[in-house]
Amino acid sequence: MTKGVKVLIGAVIIIFAAAVVLAVIGLKPSESTWVDIVQNNKVIYHLDLSEEDDRTFRVDFPDGGWNDIQIKDGRISIVDSDCPDHTCIKTGELRSENIPIVCLPHKLVIRFSDEGAGE
Amino acid sequence: MKAHKLARLALLTALALIIFIIELRIDIIPIPGAKLGLANIITVYAVYKYSAKETAMIVLARVLLGSIFGGNISAIMYSLAGAICCLTGMLIVKRIVPLKYIWLSSIIGAILHNTGQMIVAVMVMRSFAVLSIYPFLIITGCIAGAFTGLCAQFLISRKLIEKENKKET
Repeated sequence: MTKGVKVLIGAVIIIFAAAVVLAVIGLKPSESTWVDIVQNNKVIYHLDLSEEDDRTFRVDFPDGGWNDIQIKDGRISIVDSDCPDHTCIKTGELRSENIPIVCLPHKLVIRFSDEGAGE
Repeated sequence: MKAHKLARLALLTALALIIFIIELRIDIIPIPGAKLGLANIITVYAVYKYSAKETAMIVLARVLLGSIFGGNISAIMYSLAGAICCLTGMLIVKRIVPLKYIWLSSIIGAILHNTGQMIVAVMVMRSFAVLSIYPFLIITGCIAGAFTGLCAQFLISRKLIEKENKKET
């Protein structure tokens, strides 16, 4: 084993460990009930999940395409979309402050926010 | 370029493409954007067995055709950025890491692949919100990278493809 290989193995282990630590931090559930739905960097909805009724609504993307967003029992998720990868649906419900629901093709982000922010 | 070399490169591209398309149907990892990256077995193999130019040709052809056949052309920017980062990194790492530690260069390739995709995602979204899934991509990338690297290592150590080559030539 040469020195270069050792250095690279060390670097990979450090990166992996850092990723594990960051991932654990990222999994922390959010205490906020306010949610921003952001499209193209503009906040289009600012909702309090604890007061919202159960409903499903559609967000259209100006360049074509749509996402069906569902609010149920104070939880928000994307249930249907015509994007090709369906990553946003697979993400499931919004749980953590650090992990937003992202639909890259439609430039849509659903994330927790502070109360009153974005108004 | 000799015809038999061209044919061999085309064969590798076709193999990578087949693996890529079958892999699209395997949908077991719940983390968005995470993939097994089995098609990279071919990339890792090619990096060590062929020249930089030939490997780049295989990878670019695979990414372009993969996005067309996979029906996800909008994602081509991500695949392309990932592939280019991964390829450049692995071609550099190849000079340091011997064939015996091929799994290591595969892991580094996987990390760089995810990094490239993340950079494009940040540029497209103009927001750092997507970065929050980056650690998860690194973790799955490391595991998947180690797996594909080991696959490539077994492939090379068993000399499956070399035997065929000798018959051909």
